[in-house]
Amino acid sequence: MKSLLLLLIPLYVLPLVVHSDVVLTILIFTFLLGILAVGFNIVFGGAGQLTMFHAAAFGIGSYVTFLSMLRFGIPFWLGYCVAVVIVVLVSIVIGWICFKFRLKEFYFAVVTLAFAELCRLVALNWTSVTNGTLGMLVLEKPTIWLPGSGIVRIEQTTSWYFLSLVALSAILVFSVLLMRSWIGRNFSAIRLNEDLAQTLGIDTFRYKLLAFTISNVIASFAGALYGFYTGYIEPAYLAVTQSLDAIAMVLLGGVSTIMGPVVGALVLTSLPHLIELPAEMRVAVYGMILILVILLMPRGVVGLFRRPRHAA
Amino acid sequence: MLLKVENLTKRFGGLVAVSDVSFAVSKGEIIGIFGPNGSGKTTLLNLLAGLLPPSGGRVLWKGEDIAGARPNIIASAGVIKTFQNPQLFSELTVFEHVMIASFLAFTRMKDHSRWRSFLWPGRTESILRERAERALALCRLQDASLKRAAELSYGEEKMLGVAMAMMCEPEILLLDEPASGLGNDEIHNLESVLRDLRAHGTTLCIIDHKVAFLAKFADQAIALQQGCKIAEGRPYDVLADPAVVKAYLGRSHA
Repeated sequence: MKSLLLLLIPLYVLPLVVHSDVVLTILIFTFLLGILAVGFNIVFGGAGQLTMFHAAAFGIGSYVTFLSMLRFGIPFWLGYCVAVVIVVLVSIVIGWICFKFRLKEFYFAVVTLAFAELCRLVALNWTSVTNGTLGMLVLEKPTIWLPGSGIVRIEQTTSWYFLSLVALSAILVFSVLLMRSWIGRNFSAIRLNEDLAQTLGIDTFRYKLLAFTISNVIASFAGALYGFYTGYIEPAYLAVTQSLDAIAMVLLGGVSTIMGPVVGALVLTSLPHLIELPAEMRVAVYGMILILVILLMPRGVVGLFRRPRHAA
Repeated sequence: MLLKVENLTKRFGGLVAVSDVSFAVSKGEIIGIFGPNGSGKTTLLNLLAGLLPPSGGRVLWKGEDIAGARPNIIASAGVIKTFQNPQLFSELTVFEHVMIASFLAFTRMKDHSRWRSFLWPGRTESILRERAERALALCRLQDASLKRAAELSYGEEKMLGVAMAMMCEPEILLLDEPASGLGNDEIHNLESVLRDLRAHGTTLCIIDHKVAFLAKFADQAIALQQGCKIAEGRPYDVLADPAVVKAYLGRSHA
């Protein structure tokens, strides 16, 4: 926990030194996608369940938050609460189906992927509500209450920087607390040997469902912020590529480590900007770097420095 | 009566692995179940622990039928099983294993709010760590506590299985061939651990095909052959039973 806080402090003072909008924007995307990756790491790196649903949860987070703000005229955070309720319900239904039928590994991945596609098709084809392929422009901004200055709209790059950094920090602190608690220990037990976990009295069904739900709620949080930051929500948020990106971030940074997903998010969001090549070449080089890194560092960047963090 | 098994039967297709077995265990007793390989001992234990659903019969635990319940429900009711081939979390250390096994003990800590221990785990954790150290000491693993499971000898792996089971605070411990594959020193070690468990008042149900090993500990013995109970009683009486002699030696001495 202490080392986590020490790692985060430099990020809080960074905008005082660096004024480049490009750097801050890359970091905002890093933080927002980092939240998605940290969420995925809880269900995959923690409980060992290869879900493909997190992009759908990400998309549901942005769509439902925005649509409920439009329909009910409520502020961003209340709109997000509606999204949480829906994501929790959806996760419980899908998780219940998958875990009751004891789907594991690739079977679980394929079925969750099918459910995610189902959600994407709803976003794509329910044009009267979601505006279909065209997506929706989001002109509303989240507001927060700050002591001294009252209610503030989050508009400028620096405000977004701090909002997304605080959100990421909160999620990271939560994930440290979670992974070192009995819940995290039970997740590890399920990942490493589910049959043994059961004979030790762990209700593996319940804990897998919990891991799946927590990670989807975190993904929806990332999605809600992401949609409002970019000012645009489209069905591609729910696409499989979005899920794969988060998986690549976790693999790259280090599975089952706390900071790994964030490191992975940083590499994957900044790399395309660092490679100064024509766009088509850039994607190919980017893909090759990704493949090489995953082959050469099977435990990710963070894994070079420490062994995976388990229940200790 | 702590555990009462009534007409327990398990069929795999046409094969009857456990056929109409009944017995009872009272608190503090050590019951030995033996029989040649393939006689249905492990299947019987798996039925008791909920790892397999029975085809028929009842398992009464403190008067309540637990046959067919899920393994974690049975474990939390106090029936804990160890595996013949140790089941471990191979990349974790010995100590981490025992801490994972502390979950049931944790759920039984009444004065510890779960949410407080989520935010401030210190106090709960130190109590569980102390218990984990005791369980490791009981199983003579205190010096190996920082080793990874993958580095353990076979004997240590088996003792780690017992240590994890003890951490679950079992009311009855089902041991699946604890002595198989162990060297003489390790068997010696196991015997002293079992003596400690008995002094502890833990009810034990041990299955093994090493008759001499079982006879030393058991208060009561049951002999199985091809899934059927062929003899029951005090260990040395069961060993002398003509049916048992025949099953083991292939011919009658009578």
